[in-house]
Amino acid sequence: MTETDLLSLTQWLSPAFPVSAYAYSHGLEAEITHGRVHDGETARDWIATVIEVGAGRNDALILLAVLSGRDADEMADLARALAGSAERWEETRAMGAAFAETVAAMRGGNGVARPYPVAVGMAARALNVPHEVVAALYLQALAASLVSVAVRFVPLGQAEGQRIQAALQPRIAALAGDLARLDAMAVEDHLGAAAFGADLATMEHEGLEVRIFRT
Amino acid sequence: MFDLAQPAPAAAPQTRHQRVHGRAMVRLGTGPRAGVKDLAQAGSAKAMLPRMHGRAPEVVFLNTAGGITGGDRLSYTLEIGAGATATGTTQTAERAYRANGGVGRIDTHLALGAGAVLDWLPQELILFEGAALDRRLTVDMAEDAELVLLETLVLGRAAMGETLTRLHLSDRRQVRRGGRLDMVETIRLGADDLVRPGSAGLDGATTLATLTLMARDASDRLDRLRAALPTDGPVRAAASAWEGRLTARFMAAQAYPLRRALARAIPVLTNRPLPRVWQI
Repeated sequence: MTETDLLSLTQWLSPAFPVSAYAYSHGLEAEITHGRVHDGETARDWIATVIEVGAGRNDALILLAVLSGRDADEMADLARALAGSAERWEETRAMGAAFAETVAAMRGGNGVARPYPVAVGMAARALNVPHEVVAALYLQALAASLVSVAVRFVPLGQAEGQRIQAALQPRIAALAGDLARLDAMAVEDHLGAAAFGADLATMEHEGLEVRIFRT
Repeated sequence: MFDLAQPAPAAAPQTRHQRVHGRAMVRLGTGPRAGVKDLAQAGSAKAMLPRMHGRAPEVVFLNTAGGITGGDRLSYTLEIGAGATATGTTQTAERAYRANGGVGRIDTHLALGAGAVLDWLPQELILFEGAALDRRLTVDMAEDAELVLLETLVLGRAAMGETLTRLHLSDRRQVRRGGRLDMVETIRLGADDLVRPGSAGLDGATTLATLTLMARDASDRLDRLRAALPTDGPVRAAASAWEGRLTARFMAAQAYPLRRALARAIPVLTNRPLPRVWQI
């Protein structure tokens, strides 16, 4: 692993990178509006579920498959087919397009628009960073953006938000390690989710009368 | 090479039951009055075509073993030709019983020719304590075909107050339309998920359903479907449409109200009555 490659990766996955991560709540806004997420504990549980058995896990598997050499267009089709609602599709499509465009503007390359985990995986192929670390940082970035939604709109104190983020770190590290040990070329066999409430929430978000977030 | 699929008699464990193997396949012809072109059945899987008196054909699959457990294999195939219209369903709920070693497997394959219309409305899958099941649904449909797809899972026999603690379910549903992968849903449910805290997971639900429409005009039908969904009460439901696909999701702590909600929503997408074998 080289330090500059690790710094590139953290730059790409930082909230400052222009993919508008702050604009997407993944359905969490609907859960806060309906009162299902209303304090630090319910926020932490919700975010942990999305990471461990929701879109976080499936996205990380697709990212790892791309890193390991699976065809990017085939993985883009898989990510598109897996999106569970109009807003989930919009989120991964728009973030991926913005990510690829920015990376191409910085480093050259063709900037092909593909769903977010595929776009990140394609860019990270050039880095000398262990796949497990790429997956862990990807999941931590997703967690951070959801924690930020909770801090602003539950609302939670800043310190409580950071406590949640810290509490998720051992779980994210364990998950990334587990996923990286699976056969990344057989990604289809490992996909799977059990975030039924979160899947419903991304659909319920479409029906909210007042929406701050795009998803 | 040795054929590893053949169990060696000497190594056979003390099986408590005869392994269930069943395959049923129905192929309907083309056109609005399509008849049966091909029907094959083996083992405990059967397919029946009740007389429909002018209505579109209804193909009813049945597992005569009455359930599935570890090591069992069931396979259902339904193919309908260009321009055909049909409904596919199952005679009863499928029951996945405690698996004493091994994983049960159900494969379902659907194929729709150009302009064909298929409603695949099986009755629910009931998972009992200790069930271990892999399920695969694969669909190949023509670009302009139309498919309504229902999947309902019931966790435990709620009517008997059973709460699951051990479970393995891997449930993968995949649709290719015009050769392109257009829908994948994968459920992985294990013991951890049954006790996972918070509202993003099961959140106390014991019945889950996904109703999907794959059709070019799917988005145009979203408002009508939403109007048929429950807005409060025991069933949590919502719908979304994008990319020639409409999905509605349902979850509830009891099976019966969810079944009623489905009975209201399904005809909005199919424009046909529910399968006759359904008892609401």
